[in-house]
This record gives sequence, C-alpha cells and structure tokens, in this order.
Amino acid sequence: MEIFSQLIFNSIIAGAVYALIALGFNLIYGATKFLNLAHGVMTAIGGYTVFYFTKTLDWNIYLAVIIGILFAGLIGFSLDKFVYFPLRKRKASNMVLLVASFGAFTAIQAIIAILFNSRFQTLSQNTSAQKSFEIFGGVITQTQLIILASAALIMTGLVLLLHKTRFGKAIKAISDDEEVAKIVGINTNKIIGYVFFIGSAIAGFAGILVGFDTGIEPTMGLDLLFKGVIASIVGGIGNLYGGVLGAFLLGFVENFGIWKISGDWKDAIAFALLIVFLIFRPRGIMNK
Amino acid sequence: MTILETRNLIKRFGGVHAVDHLSIEVEKGRINGIIGPNGSGKTTLINLLSGMLAMDGGEIIIDDVQKFTQMFPHQVFFYGIARTFQNVRLFEQMTVLDNILVILTKRNVFSSLFEKHTEYHLKKAEEVLQRVDLWKKKNQLAINLSYGQRKLLEIARALVTDAEIYLLDESFTGLFPEMRKIVSNIICELKQENKTVILIEHDMGLIRELCDYIFVMNEGKLLVEGKPNYVLEGKEVIEAYLGK
Repeated sequence: MEIFSQLIFNSIIAGAVYALIALGFNLIYGATKFLNLAHGVMTAIGGYTVFYFTKTLDWNIYLAVIIGILFAGLIGFSLDKFVYFPLRKRKASNMVLLVASFGAFTAIQAIIAILFNSRFQTLSQNTSAQKSFEIFGGVITQTQLIILASAALIMTGLVLLLHKTRFGKAIKAISDDEEVAKIVGINTNKIIGYVFFIGSAIAGFAGILVGFDTGIEPTMGLDLLFKGVIASIVGGIGNLYGGVLGAFLLGFVENFGIWKISGDWKDAIAFALLIVFLIFRPRGIMNK
Repeated sequence: MTILETRNLIKRFGGVHAVDHLSIEVEKGRINGIIGPNGSGKTTLINLLSGMLAMDGGEIIIDDVQKFTQMFPHQVFFYGIARTFQNVRLFEQMTVLDNILVILTKRNVFSSLFEKHTEYHLKKAEEVLQRVDLWKKKNQLAINLSYGQRKLLEIARALVTDAEIYLLDESFTGLFPEMRKIVSNIICELKQENKTVILIEHDMGLIRELCDYIFVMNEGKLLVEGKPNYVLEGKEVIEAYLGK
C-alpha cells in the first residue's frame, strides 16, 4: 500500500512537471507549427538564473524565482525575434527552423556549462530541513506540493488566457491559419513573439521547480524536452489539454513501469509509450 | 476615381505566365466582375492583390497614391482590402462568433492580454452575423458548418473589417438559392455604401445582374473590359469560353 501510494504521488508530481513543459511546447507549436527543440534548454535557463541569484549573489529567493521566469521568457522571445522570425520571413521550411532550434539549444546549453560547470547542483537551501507530509503511507515534500499547486495555477491561467482574452483568440486564429490571420489584420509576428515569451517562461518555471525538488545540471533540458515532447505527441501535438493529459499518462506509465524493476528503465519505458502511440495513434489522444 | 490599379502586373509559375503584363483600373464604388475561362489568371490576380503571392513584375497602386512592387498579407488589412477564398479558409477550431470577434482584436497586443470584448464589439459581430443569417449558429465551431454557411461566414469576416475594397473569389459557388440571395444583397449594399467589389464568378447571369463593369481575362492577359452588355456579347469573349 505504501509503495502504491508513493508511486501515485511520484506519478502526479512527474506528470505536473511534464505538463508544464508540454504546455509551453504545445503553445509554441500551435502558433508556429514547428518543433522548437530549444524549448528544453529554457528549463536550465530558469534553474541556473535562480541558482546564480540565490547562491552567488545571495538575493531573496522569491525575487530570484521571478527573475528566473522572466529571463527564460526573454531568451525565448529573443530567439524568436533574432533567429526564427528572420527565417520565417525568408519562408524557411519547418525543417530549417527545427535545425536552428537545435543549434540554439546546443549553444545555450554549452554557455551554461561554461559559466557554471557541469556539476549537479540543488536550489534548495537545506534539503534535510524540508518539511514532508505522510498521506496514505506515501510521502510528499513541501516542494512537491508547491510544484503541484503552481502547475495547477499555470494550467488554469493559460486556459483563461486562451479562452477569455482577445489575445488568446488571436493565438487560436494564428494556430488555425496564420496567413489568413495576417490578412484580417492580426499582428501575427508580435503575437508569436509573446507566445514564445509565455511558453519559455513556463518552461523556465518548470526548470526552477525541478531544481528545488531534485537539482539542476546544464544538460537537464534534454531530458525534460524529451518528456515534454513525448507528452505532447501522446496527448495530441498542438493541443494544450492533450499535452496535459499526455504528461500525466507519461508520469504514471513511467513510475508504475519501474515498480518491480530498476529506475534506469524509466526513459526506455517513456520512449516505448511514444513508439506505441506513433504506431497505433500517431495523432495522439485528443486530436481527431 | 480610381481606387485600385495594376500596371504591367506579372506572375509566372515556371514558364507559365499566370498573369501577363496586366494593367487594369478599378473605379471606386463599382461592382467589378472578373471573368475568364479556368486557368485564365483570375484567382492569381486576387492572390497578388492580397499579398498571398509574390509579384514577378509590375506594380499595384491603391488610391492613386500607394504604390507597391510587392504586397504582403499583413499590409492588406491596413490598406482597406478584404478578401474571401475560392476554397473557404476559416479559423476552423473557433466558434462562428469568435471568427468575427478575433478581427475586432485590439491592434495593441499588450492591451489585448487584459481586455475583454465590449458591448460595441459584440453588437458589431451580431450585426454582420445577422446579415449572413448565421447569428443563431454563433456558438458552433466553424469546422461544423455546412459548405454554404462556411462561405457566408467568410463573407461576414470580410464585412467586419469595414474595408474599402472587397475581393470575392467565387463566393456564390455551391450556395443554395436563398444563400445566393443573401450574398447578392450584401454586394448591392456594399455598392450603396460606396465600397468597391471585385467579384470572380462563372455564372454569367449573376455577372450581368450585379456588375457595373467587367474585366475579361484569358491566359493571364486582359482580353477585353467594359459594361456587361457590351462585353458579354463580344465575339472575343464567346470565343475565349467556347473556342473558335
């Protein structure tokens, strides 16, 4: 019973982190229709910004988190403005954009490794002093509760943004037909820039949460990117709700999959899930 | 007064001249028909005028002042041009109402983050949707509309932009008689509002009934232009459609 409860908690927490990555990834994919691989490295940007401000400069942790989120958003926005937008303007194919995003991913990851070395670090001040709660025999930490609460808050906020604001309607219009959106006077480039900001800021926040829960390292973006992409494809790429559903499904399959075997199999199980979906339901759960 | 002019407009697809040194002048407040056999360059012309295709030569002049050697889609709205498509293009995953409301989105992106649609916008959306008889379908997703309703929604979307020039590409095709009546009425109302309509249509009865002036295209060139009665009786036009 204890293990079962613990696996459920672990699955939900992993699902919440993957959902945050998938939300930003799907938001950007929906508007641009290309796989922005640089999305993964935004997690490292968020995590290392907080690390720099709290551990090196000894700033207030809450202020550092806000700066980390905004900085990740700003890098995403700048990538669009200085790399993707000029390419889109020249009518570059999605393959070119994908390669450019992979280049940006590698370059940023290398810069982080140079600036901060490649060691595994944690953002928590004192891990042993962290509060934890026992529920149905399973243990959940204070940080993990914060992860769950903030993931729920961001998901709700994003849904409200998309459905209740004019900005959200414009994003949906661009997602449906960017060319027609331009013709009817929607400032598509500006809106796509904001989409990159929002999506990257969410990924940065996910990186910060992971940093507090487990830790950060320059290559953390790759693993989280894979999980976000798998969640998106399983749920239905470009579909925000699908991405969240896929993220939690991935979290459960991954954690229950290693119930009786080594945790090293986690990634293999995640990719097995992806392959199963690519063969039997390539459009994902939510896309018709 | 000339509201839209093309001078030596050229568009090539490989070795084919889809639009070949085309020079036309469109008068303000007139309903202009563009006719010609399939492949004569009518839709290509509309695509050039709305920035959907890049020009290979020539220029487009709007209001006698604005000269373009290249039009871009994002400029079209700001120069008062609205269009519909031969194959309907809607925001499929949005409701009928949102397809209209999104046009009324604030141009200032930041303020659009926080503002909701006002009574004024909802009233304006209701007005255009009533005009095309789609108000009762306002909460349906665009993708679930019938073909004719989709065509009407596309026209409503063009109307809400309050443009000066309307480019309507085969807007009557596939419509039931009552829907054709709605579109005819809208075109006539646009004329009364001193708006300019450029209409691509294959139904010669409609062209004769609605248009003040006709341009006949063949193989990308202007074959003949003039008033409907004069043009439609012309030997060149009959030959272009039926062969010699």
